[in-house]
Amino acid sequence: MSDEFVQEWRNAAYNCFSSGHKFCREVCPVMQVERNESWTPTAFHANVVAMEQGELSVADVAADYVNCTQCGACELRCPNTLFTGDFYRFRTRTVDLVKAMRALAVDEGIHQPGYLRWNQSTDERRHEPVTGGTPVDQAHVADWAAGLNLPTGGETVLFVDCEAAFYRTSVPRAVAQILQRAKIEFGLMREQWCCGGPAAEMGYVEQAQRFARHNLDDWRAAGVKRVIALDPHDYITFTEDYPRYFGEEYDDIEVVLAVELFSELIREGRLTPSVPIERTITYHDPCRLNKRQGIWREPREILRAIPGLDFRDVDRVTQWSYCSGGGAGLPVEKPELTAKISDRRLAHAAELEVDTLVSACPWSERPLSEAGASRAIDVVDIHELLAESLGIEVGGSREAG
Amino acid sequence: MSAVATPGALDDGALEALAQLLGPEHLITAKPARMHRARVPAPFPVHRWADHLPDAVVLPRDTEEVAEVVRIANRFRIPVVPRSGGTGLTDGAVPLRHGILLDLKRLDRIHELDLENRTCTVGAGVNMLKLNEQLARHGLIYPDDPASYPCSLVGGRIGTSGWSLIGSRYGHTRDLVLSFVHVLPTGEVVRFGDGGGAKVSKSSTGYTLKPLFMGHQGTLGVATEATLKLYPKPEAELSPFWAFADYGSAHRAMRELVWADCATFAGAVLFDEHKVAYLRRDDEAYIPQPESVRALVCAVLYGNEDEVRAGGRRLMRIAKENGARYLGDEISQGDWAARHDRYATPLHGRTKAGQVVPMSWHCEDAAINWTALPAVREEWHAIVARLRERSDVFDDWGMFAYTSARTGVDYLTEIDVGIWEQELDDESWALWIAGKRDIAAVAVAHGGSISACHGACREGEVDLVPDELGGGYDVMKAIKRTLDPLNVMNPGKYGLDGAFEENRK
Repeated sequence: MSDEFVQEWRNAAYNCFSSGHKFCREVCPVMQVERNESWTPTAFHANVVAMEQGELSVADVAADYVNCTQCGACELRCPNTLFTGDFYRFRTRTVDLVKAMRALAVDEGIHQPGYLRWNQSTDERRHEPVTGGTPVDQAHVADWAAGLNLPTGGETVLFVDCEAAFYRTSVPRAVAQILQRAKIEFGLMREQWCCGGPAAEMGYVEQAQRFARHNLDDWRAAGVKRVIALDPHDYITFTEDYPRYFGEEYDDIEVVLAVELFSELIREGRLTPSVPIERTITYHDPCRLNKRQGIWREPREILRAIPGLDFRDVDRVTQWSYCSGGGAGLPVEKPELTAKISDRRLAHAAELEVDTLVSACPWSERPLSEAGASRAIDVVDIHELLAESLGIEVGGSREAG
Repeated sequence: MSAVATPGALDDGALEALAQLLGPEHLITAKPARMHRARVPAPFPVHRWADHLPDAVVLPRDTEEVAEVVRIANRFRIPVVPRSGGTGLTDGAVPLRHGILLDLKRLDRIHELDLENRTCTVGAGVNMLKLNEQLARHGLIYPDDPASYPCSLVGGRIGTSGWSLIGSRYGHTRDLVLSFVHVLPTGEVVRFGDGGGAKVSKSSTGYTLKPLFMGHQGTLGVATEATLKLYPKPEAELSPFWAFADYGSAHRAMRELVWADCATFAGAVLFDEHKVAYLRRDDEAYIPQPESVRALVCAVLYGNEDEVRAGGRRLMRIAKENGARYLGDEISQGDWAARHDRYATPLHGRTKAGQVVPMSWHCEDAAINWTALPAVREEWHAIVARLRERSDVFDDWGMFAYTSARTGVDYLTEIDVGIWEQELDDESWALWIAGKRDIAAVAVAHGGSISACHGACREGEVDLVPDELGGGYDVMKAIKRTLDPLNVMNPGKYGLDGAFEENRK
C-alpha cells in the first residue's frame, strides 16, 4: 500500500521538494502559531520523497499529518499552482495529500487515538459525537426543527451537518425559516446520516464512503433532485468527495450552498432584510468557501444588504492566512492547537475594534466563540444575522444547552 | 574529548541539558523533524540525505535560550547549525557535521515599533511580508525584498547578508538592519550596530563590527533580534519592460538607464537571450513575445508619485534613444509582479529530447562589473552546455543581471540551471560540483565575486573562496579561531575547519 501511495504521489512531492519555495509557510494557520517546520505543506511533501528514498515510513510521520486543518491556503499560495497551473493544469494538492497519508496510516493500522474514538462513535451513532445540549443519535437528528413543521422528502432537501443539528441549532433554524420566508419548498431527509466528510478527512475512507452511500440511497428513495447545504464542510464533501465516489450515478444531484442561494434571493428581491442590526462586524471567510471553493462575494453581498451594520471587511486574500482551526479533525486530536489558531483569528478581529465576528461555518463558530469570549467579541452565524434582519425569531441554541 | 566539535557527539548528558532548558516539546529528535531541516531549496543530493541530518532540533523562544543552547554546545563540544527560514541558496543552514539544529522560527515577535524614529525591533524569526502587513497600517515599509520575500526570515537575511531587488533605492540588508542582538560562538550576548546605540545609522566609534557579523552563514554565531530602518510606503511604483533585438543592445541600454541617476530608481534587470528563449519555451506565465524579441530590460522606480512620474518619463526617453521597444503597461505591471512574487521559474525543464521533467532551480549569483558581463555570460553558458551534453539532469534556464547599486558598478549576475533531482546520482552530482567550481572560477577571473547574494559555501564554489579573498581569507580563519575556539558554530562551512588544522600544527 505504501509503495502504491509513493508511486501515486512521487511527482507531486518532487514538484514541491525540488522547488522548496515555502511560500505556503506564512499563510499556514498551524505554522503561524507553532513555527514548527515539520508541520508545513513543504514537510508533508518532503516526507513522500523520504519514503521513496527508504528513509521514512508512514509510521514515522503519521502523527505529523494531524497538524493540518485542510484549509487549502498553501495550495493557493503555491507558485506551482499560481503559474504552472495555467498551462499544465497542475495544482498543488496538499489537502488531498494529507487526506491520502491519513488514509494510508489507517490502512496500515496506525490510528490517532482521538480520530479513532471519534470515528468509532460516529459509526455507532450515525452522527459525529459533538458535545452539546442534544443527545447525538438518530432519534434526535431533527430536534433542531421543533415547531417549524418541516416535511420529509420532496425534490429539495436541506442537509444539516452534525455540529449544527446537535450543537448550534440556531443555524439550521435560521436557514429553514429563511427558506420558508422565500417560499422555497424543501423537506428533510428520511434518515440523514453524517455526510462522511470528516471521516474521509481523518483517513477513515471506507466509513466515509459507507455513509455517503447511505445518504445518496436516501435521496434516491425520496426522489431528491436538489440538496441545500448550509455548512461549508458538507458542501465540500458533496461537491468534491461524492462525485469521486459515485461518478455518473451522482450527476443529476444538484448541490446548492445556502449562502449562495440567499444572496441570489436578495438580488432578485425575494428576500429583503429590513430590521436594522446595530453591530460593528467583520466577516470571517470560512476556509472551505474562500480558499477551497472561491466563494467570498456572496456572503459579503448578504452582509451589505443588512441595514444598520458597520461592516469592517478584510479582503479575501489577506484572509488566506486566517482560519478558526476547527477543520479536518484538528480539534478532535489537538484542541489546544485549535484554540491557539482561533485566538489568533480573534486577535485580528479585535484590531478592527468590532463587537461581532460573523462566520458562515458552524464548525468554526464553536472555537471562534470560545476565543471571542475573552475579548468580548460575539461570534454570530451569517444565517442567524440575516434571519434576524428579516424579522425572524430564530430560536435554537448557539452553545451547549 | 576532542579539542573541537565532532560529529555524532550528542550524548545523553547534552540531550538532558537541552531538555531541561527547552522542555521536551522544543527539543526534537524524531527523524522526520531532523530530515526536514537537513536541506534548503538549493539542489540537494537526495541520495545522500542522511549525511546531512542533525542529531537534534531545538526550537528556542528567545535570545537567552539561544545563548544557553550555544553554551551547552560548547560544554559538550557539539556542532550547532542555525536555521531561520531555511530558504537560502548556499546551504548555510545545511548541517555538514550533524549536531544541534538551532531553529529560530519561534523568535517571531515584534518587540517594538518606534514611529517617531521610524524603526522596529523584531525577532530573527519574523518574515518581511508578515512584518509589512503590520507596518502598512502606519504607512511604513521595511523594504528588504529578496525573491524569497514571502518566506525568508530576518535572521537568515542577517546571517547571509542578503541582497534586495530594490536595493539600489533602499539599500540591502546590511543597510536596512541598524543593529542586532547576537549570540557569539561561545554563548555571550552582544549587540552589533554602528556604534553602541541600537538605532544609529552612522557612527565612528570603535571598529565597525556590524558587517563582520553579517553574511558569515552561521559560522560566527547567530543573530536573535534586529532593529530595522523603516521607510514610508511608496506612493507609486513603475516597472517598464523594454524589448531588444539582441543582448548587446540591451546591455548598453541598461547602463544608460542606470546612469540617468533618477532619485527614485530602485533597480534594473536584464534578461539575456537564453532567458527569453527559456521563458518562451517553458514559462506559461510569460506573456508571449514575437521572435524579434531576444533580450529584455526592466527598470523599477519607487517613491512619491510626482517624482516617479518624472523619472519614468526620463527613462522612457532614454530607452527609446537606445533602441528599446516598450512592451506596454500590462506586461510591465504583470511581469514585474510575477517575477517579484516568486522565484521566477516554472519549476520544470526538459531533457534534450524535449521531455518535460520536474526540476529544481539552481541559481548562481556572482557579482560582476558591467564591463565583464558579456564575457562572463558566454563562458557560463558554455559551462552549462557542457554539463547538459553529458547528462539530461541539467537544463540551461538563461541569465539575469540585476543592479546591485545605483551607479551600475556591478550586477548580481545569475545563471539559472534546472536540475532533475529525481535522477541525481553520485556521478551527476560530481559533474555538478565540477561545473559549479568552473562557474565560480569565471567570476573570480573577471575580477568579480562568487556571490552577490546567497553566500559562497556550497560544494564546488567554496574551493575558490581563498582565491577570491586572498589574504582576507587568512584573516577570516584567524577571526574564526579567536571567536569560536571549539569550532562549534556551523563547522565545515567555508573551509574554516582548516583554521583549526593549522592551529594544531
